Amino acid sequence: MQDWKNPVHEDRNRGYNQFMSQLSRQQCENMMSMAMGTRESSSANAHGNLWTGQKSGAKSNSAVEEAFSSLLTGIVCDALANALGRYVLDILASNGLLDDSDNPKEFDRGLQSLFGNGASVLERIVVKDLYRKLSIPYNSDARFDYEKSLETAKEVCFVESRPK
Amino acid sequence: MSGGEILSTLLASEVRGDLLILFHKNPGLIDTVDGIARRIGRTTITVISDLRELLQLGLLKQKRIGASEVVFLDRARDREILESVANHLKTVQIGVAK
Repeated sequence: MQDWKNPVHEDRNRGYNQFMSQLSRQQCENMMSMAMGTRESSSANAHGNLWTGQKSGAKSNSAVEEAFSSLLTGIVCDALANALGRYVLDILASNGLLDDSDNPKEFDRGLQSLFGNGASVLERIVVKDLYRKLSIPYNSDARFDYEKSLETAKEVCFVESRPK
Repeated sequence: MSGGEILSTLLASEVRGDLLILFHKNPGLIDTVDGIARRIGRTTITVISDLRELLQLGLLKQKRIGASEVVFLDRARDREILESVANHLKTVQIGVAK
């Protein structure tokens, strides 16, 4: 009998661990607070800045980029595992589908080739979860574009990371 | 029913995707159709046809408890269904340009 939990759990945690190792504890706390949609500033972070440990500019942009990519990879793994089971997620991971999870065009192409029309259902599940984590309102009835939805979520991450 | 057909049935709509997530995250869930609709933030009328499809597939089952008709996940059938989906996916090439 296939072990449905361990391989994928490790795979998913790899991204998470990589992400966590790049951030200081304060940054992690701030990231969490951003994800929860809390915008109050604390005494340790008077400007509510997400990346106080780093200088502004390209470096902090790449940190936000990486944080977003890790968040997205985790959500994609959860969505696939919760919808179709961990065994299916294992197969998709071993086929390299998850390598492109932060590249919407390639990821969409991979999903389309495997799931056909079902790809958009999986993408909606991913976006819904991502928006919930970033406190962005999600409308099921609106026209759906995976790439644009991710751009919106990324913009929110960047806006939240700027000094107020 | 082939693995590909099962996959199409499972992912035929956003509501069906929400139902899959709900029952896989809560495999012991037993609730009425109204309760299930509420749990995924929808109305009964918008989920009823998708629930019916999943009942027909055998992923979900229905039984009477007192005066209520309740729906729950058939775990054994769920395993079978996901295995056949997995076997189907093993045979499909991912069209990702590298």
